[in-house]
Amino acid sequence: MNAWRLLVAVLGWTLFTAGVQAERLVSQLSDDLIEITSSYDGERITFFGNIEPDAGSEQPYVTGPYNVVIAVTGPSTDRAARRMSRQFGIWLNTEQVTYEDFPSFFKVLSSDALLDVTSATTLAVEGILPEAQPDISDEAGWWKSSIFGTELVRLMTERGFFELNEQGVQFLSNTAYTAEMSLSSDAVPGVYLAQTYVFKDGEIVARRAESFSVRKTGFERYLATSASNQPLFYGIACVVLAVFTGWLGGVIFKR
Amino acid sequence: MQIYLPIAELSVNLFFLVGIGGAVGFLSGLFGVGGGFLLTPLLIFSGVPSSVAVASVTGQVVASSTSGALSHYKRGGVDLHLALYLVVSGIIGAFGGVATFSLLRAAGQLDLFIALGFLVLLGSVGTMMLIESVQSLLRSRSGVVVRGRRAQQHNWMHGLPWRVRFKKSRLYISVLPVLGIGVIIGFLGSLLGVGGGFIMVPALVYLLRVPGNVVIGTSLLQVVAMMAATTILHAVQSQSVDILLAFCLMVGGVAGAQFGASANKYLRGDQLRALLALLVLAVAIRFGLSLVLTPDDIYSMAVLTPAGAR
Repeated sequence: MNAWRLLVAVLGWTLFTAGVQAERLVSQLSDDLIEITSSYDGERITFFGNIEPDAGSEQPYVTGPYNVVIAVTGPSTDRAARRMSRQFGIWLNTEQVTYEDFPSFFKVLSSDALLDVTSATTLAVEGILPEAQPDISDEAGWWKSSIFGTELVRLMTERGFFELNEQGVQFLSNTAYTAEMSLSSDAVPGVYLAQTYVFKDGEIVARRAESFSVRKTGFERYLATSASNQPLFYGIACVVLAVFTGWLGGVIFKR
Repeated sequence: MQIYLPIAELSVNLFFLVGIGGAVGFLSGLFGVGGGFLLTPLLIFSGVPSSVAVASVTGQVVASSTSGALSHYKRGGVDLHLALYLVVSGIIGAFGGVATFSLLRAAGQLDLFIALGFLVLLGSVGTMMLIESVQSLLRSRSGVVVRGRRAQQHNWMHGLPWRVRFKKSRLYISVLPVLGIGVIIGFLGSLLGVGGGFIMVPALVYLLRVPGNVVIGTSLLQVVAMMAATTILHAVQSQSVDILLAFCLMVGGVAGAQFGASANKYLRGDQLRALLALLVLAVAIRFGLSLVLTPDDIYSMAVLTPAGAR
């Protein structure tokens, strides 16, 4: 009985997949580890990929046209958006909305205008748009969260941490693409996740997740870990360095 | 040449840092002040997060004041007894300042209080210095020989209890105003990232009547000790001291200070004070405008937890 069922299921699966085209994505990042050294001044990352027939399918090739969208998300932090108002003649921060686990970096690269690639519903479900990043905060309520969230996304975009580049992905052939993304020097160190979606006729036909990390290395790493792990020792070292530099300056210039 | 600052987490031009360190060092050598009140605002205006700027400048102030304090000490221009009282009370004030700093940062009001603090402090000190130095300039121009106020003159502070004899300063005064000055300067200095020399010197001269030959040395020693303690407190409490940033500023500052000190000889005391007063007022006005003028963007953002902390 069970053997029959299995046979039927296998037959059904083969019949089903044989008729439908199936794609898979083969992709590669130019770097999976970006090291921050003392001369670090930002970095460019290149994505390469090719759309191929899925393993096990009998088609020799796949036909497009395809669209590729890459969404890169950086490490999350709790972030606040604040609004100033004039009180007693001076400007001060009077309102604040906190967004938990808000990405410090979010860039979307696509091969065409996003609304031509797929529907707004799919974009919203997959969380592809920068505007979708702020969650609604319970304490502030929907209306205020939405307003402050929009402003937060605008600020992040102005600082170069958020971006929507609708010409960011270039197709080299019908199936092979390349994309380039810049990482500024003040991008937060940590793990970055790159989600690549392949769209055909507005539907996602293949997807792939890759990650790369940005981390301080060598002396920079040593300083940053000392500052957080041995703060007292680090503080004393700063003072010793300062006193020594001051003393040396006095000696050199014979004050 | 760009250099990556590991705590500020951004890269800045190395020559820019050494350059502003040197320029501020020159002015600090010229006027005999620490220069923190110029350096902290300059860093904030050039994009360094204000918490990192304040905490790192405290380290720089230690360096720029050390060589001055040492040379005054060798010349016998330091009242160690008086400095001890000022340092101990200053460190107590610094504890309060660093704690307030953390609270304000969490509440999103740090930038406001830094601006307000600089405005009030620099505005009042600058105005007083300007009035005093202009009067003195006018008097010397009209040819009247001015006798300085006598150091032994008494005021209400001499009626307070717990009097202590400070031999070197030839003073027999209550410790209360001494401790008060120490606490206030410790608090403001750690909150604003300034050494406080420009408040300390007038306070010692006009309030305590400390004789001129030990004022600068005692004040410098107090700045070194108190800022050293503040640097350690900031490193432990807010972990925002960027040693690389501080070091770049120190190198420029220490070199600049030597040239400033030699340029000092070409200017008279009252001219120097008038120039310093104008400089202090200019910084105060800059902060005042930032509070009063409508900002370009009424929205701002801040990271509440560092990414590495989770």
